[in-house]
Amino acid sequence: MTSNDIAKQESARGETAAMLPPVDVVEDDSGITLYADLPGVPKDKLNVRVEADALTIEAEVSLPLAQGMEASYAEVQLPRYRRTFTLGQELDSDKAVAEFRNGVLRLHIPKAAHARPRRIEVQVG
Amino acid sequence: MNMKLDDLRQGLAGVWDSVTEGWHRLRASAADALTAFRPSERNPLPQAGEVDDADYLPAARWAMLAGNVFEDERDIVVRLEIPGMEKEDFRIEVEDGLLTVSGEKRFERERGEGRYRVFECAYGAFHRSVPLPASVDAARGRARYRNGILRIDLPKRIPSRPKGTSIRIG
Repeated sequence: MTSNDIAKQESARGETAAMLPPVDVVEDDSGITLYADLPGVPKDKLNVRVEADALTIEAEVSLPLAQGMEASYAEVQLPRYRRTFTLGQELDSDKAVAEFRNGVLRLHIPKAAHARPRRIEVQVG
Repeated sequence: MNMKLDDLRQGLAGVWDSVTEGWHRLRASAADALTAFRPSERNPLPQAGEVDDADYLPAARWAMLAGNVFEDERDIVVRLEIPGMEKEDFRIEVEDGLLTVSGEKRFERERGEGRYRVFECAYGAFHRSVPLPASVDAARGRARYRNGILRIDLPKRIPSRPKGTSIRIG
């Protein structure tokens, strides 16, 4: 196996270097809501997936610029974001809803019905 | 054995040099990106009791606001990564060769009544100045906000051509 093959395998597994996007995670009775800052990512380059209990956010930065422009000053960043989270058993990832606007991902994952606190009506007889 | 030790020392010196060089480069390229975000009364952050982080304070936070400056012979293009803004919340000014972008990243309070398990994003008022590599005609500048990136195109001011007289050979 050549080193080229190894590099190909690595990229196939998505093991290339990537930035960790900052996130906010809020939990309430209905579930969790995750917000991730992903500036520079177009909608079609955002990939959110759940495998077993692992939530992975992966995104590619696109930098459209006129050709022939030269960087006179650059805070160089990697062109990719990746972050993985472990989801609790009580979450129902099949019912997750994602929105992506102005470089911010909002992902809501509801709690499974059995995990939600139930309100029991007390009837006075 | 002595030679081996010497080799090792030289090798270490090499590693150390490249580490410090890399650090200097990182510091030089990232120092300007570190930007303070200040919460305001109309844009308050969650209280300490609402966040699962013993060190959390609802005060100013620091965040990286990465910027890039590109140029060709006609234009200067500045790109700043500021996700989660509304385009009307930006203020862009050019003065004395300095481009200043300021604004306020709103913290949406309707995010619910829950607890913050993780709170890393920055909200509030910020401003970032970027020195421009050439004189520009700011009145003809254009700005766009897309995918969380603010892009500002500034045409360079063409220096008025020296009024030379060409002499024809008769």
